[in-house]
Amino acid sequence: MTWLVWRQYRLQFFLVAALLAAFAVLIAITGVQAANQYHAALAACAAGHGCRTLDELFLGSHAVGFLVISTLGAPVLVGLFWGAPLVAAESEAGTTHFAWMQSVTRRRWFAVKVGWMLLAAAVWGSVISALVTWWEGPNNALQLNAFDTGRFDIMGIVPVAYSVFALALGIAAGALLRRVLPAMAVTLAGFIAVRGVIAFWLRRHYLSPVTVYHSVTTSFTPPGSYWTLTSGVLFPNGQPIDQNTSGNVLSGVPVNYLPASCNQTTRGAFTPPPSCTQALAHFRGFLTYQPADRYWTFQGIETGIFLVLAAALIAITAVTLLRRDA
Amino acid sequence: MTWLVWRQHRVQYLIGAALLAAFAAMIVITGEQVSNQFHAAQVACAAGHGCRHLGGLFMGSKVVGFLVIATLGTPVLVGLFCGAPLVAAEAEAGTTQFAWMQSVTRKRWLMVKIGWMLLAAVIWGGVISALVTWWLSPTNAEQLNQFDPGRFDIVGIVPVGYSLFAVALGVTAGALLRRTLPALAVTLAGFIVVRVLITLWLRSHYMSPVTVIYNVLSGFTPKGAYWQLASGVLGPNGQPLAQPNNTPYFDGIPQTYLPGACSVMNGPNPPNNPPPACAQALSHYHAYLTYQPADRFWTFQGIETGIFLVLAATLIMVTAVTLLRRDA
Repeated sequence: MTWLVWRQYRLQFFLVAALLAAFAVLIAITGVQAANQYHAALAACAAGHGCRTLDELFLGSHAVGFLVISTLGAPVLVGLFWGAPLVAAESEAGTTHFAWMQSVTRRRWFAVKVGWMLLAAAVWGSVISALVTWWEGPNNALQLNAFDTGRFDIMGIVPVAYSVFALALGIAAGALLRRVLPAMAVTLAGFIAVRGVIAFWLRRHYLSPVTVYHSVTTSFTPPGSYWTLTSGVLFPNGQPIDQNTSGNVLSGVPVNYLPASCNQTTRGAFTPPPSCTQALAHFRGFLTYQPADRYWTFQGIETGIFLVLAAALIAITAVTLLRRDA
Repeated sequence: MTWLVWRQHRVQYLIGAALLAAFAAMIVITGEQVSNQFHAAQVACAAGHGCRHLGGLFMGSKVVGFLVIATLGTPVLVGLFCGAPLVAAEAEAGTTQFAWMQSVTRKRWLMVKIGWMLLAAVIWGGVISALVTWWLSPTNAEQLNQFDPGRFDIVGIVPVGYSLFAVALGVTAGALLRRTLPALAVTLAGFIVVRVLITLWLRSHYMSPVTVIYNVLSGFTPKGAYWQLASGVLGPNGQPLAQPNNTPYFDGIPQTYLPGACSVMNGPNPPNNPPPACAQALSHYHAYLTYQPADRFWTFQGIETGIFLVLAATLIMVTAVTLLRRDA
């Protein structure tokens, strides 16, 4: 069986290995440059020559940066090109009739094929993620945005789970629909929908976020790469201020809620008079966020969710295939 | 033949139409909110209530904004799901043998199938682009970035060119490889490579960019949504200045090139105007900005659309020649 899987997939295997190797070379070359640039700037900053460049430093090349962001789409490729055809292509060509008549049981045929494919998907996801995580290291240290939606999704261990899920989704869609192209379309749409729903709506609820209230005249910044969920300013009665009102704003408070002494028109440093400071003291700013030290907990939870989804899909496929008449 | 094409592809057409309708509904609902928000902010700004929001205004919901950026990928979908299987799926299933034995000639079979598919691609690209262009217009007016790579690619007429190219690429890959899955992979990879090469390296050369050299103290910003290609500072000898990391800067010039009088400008309480000795030293330096002016936007859209139409036409020719010469 393993020999059969190898014969069926060796061409794809070589293609993928070549793609990964090319990607690794590109990442390694530009990543070393970015790391050197970052350490030089950091050393200059520490030596007191000015930290100007730290904020505006663009690390690495634009083209490779684009490639790194587009690894958001890498997991679904596994589902499209390996997952969907796994059963569907054989059904379409009628070769399942032949495969399921051999001395190898259908259960074993399915277990070995799916097992090798899952291993390949995990390798695909982890190689890409390892390269991207390493490449983005200086950027994360500089911009502290590793927890942000879109960055969280291409680093750490979640890309492995996404790849495994995409593969399982493709296999399940192919087994149920028995036609390759509709299975591919369903895999693509399903992957985007599940990823979108989880990234935009579910992820923030994995752990209760932390809300910190602070005086509006002092700002509050949590340490490290925290994830901002909401922020704003509260009235003295605790109601949030609508930030979409137009007009001048002082420390996040629209000036029409403040005494006239707060109304300044000159730009630049403005030291509010005491009557203004006193009025401002009744307002409070708030920041709701997920602290930076929850990063790996969130990675673990998200990985777990996608692995459970993948396992459920594989189970459905197995039940469907084993019950189906050949 | 038209009836045959309709019967073969009606499920795809109906799904495509349903997707477009759902996208349109979402875009129209959120787009109304966006333009109201923008006009309210603009009115407030004009009335002197402060323009604070105009710089930081986020237009529309994040999710729809993400979806709008994701329309970068929609042209290739027609190539993958309509273009690549057009010939390859029939070749794989052996139905070309049957189709090419009928009274309809192979040339006519190919022309009608490809013709309807190209029309579908135009509608797909055109409808999505029209919705996105309308949705993004307040954002473009505010951020003046419709000429930037990534934004240029989802508005105007270029998405139509991309969709036609994707279909042509898919049909050609399918006709040459005669197998659907490899054709899909080639279409996906080929589309991304061609788009990226043209966007990142070729597009900036459609017309010679304009370079403006100006005094570092005055600053210069071109009108409208221009596309910035390069900027920097020239030394007194006219050569671009090296930008070392380990020194403070003033007006884009490293402090090491300037007299000591300029160092107060990077101090804790900089004066509004540099001291005379510093201003005199600064007058020897010039800044430059190389850019494509905003009024070339539609020219660039036209050139890029033309390039992709020529590529698409070439690919269709290759397919036609290959298929008409091939033994059934």
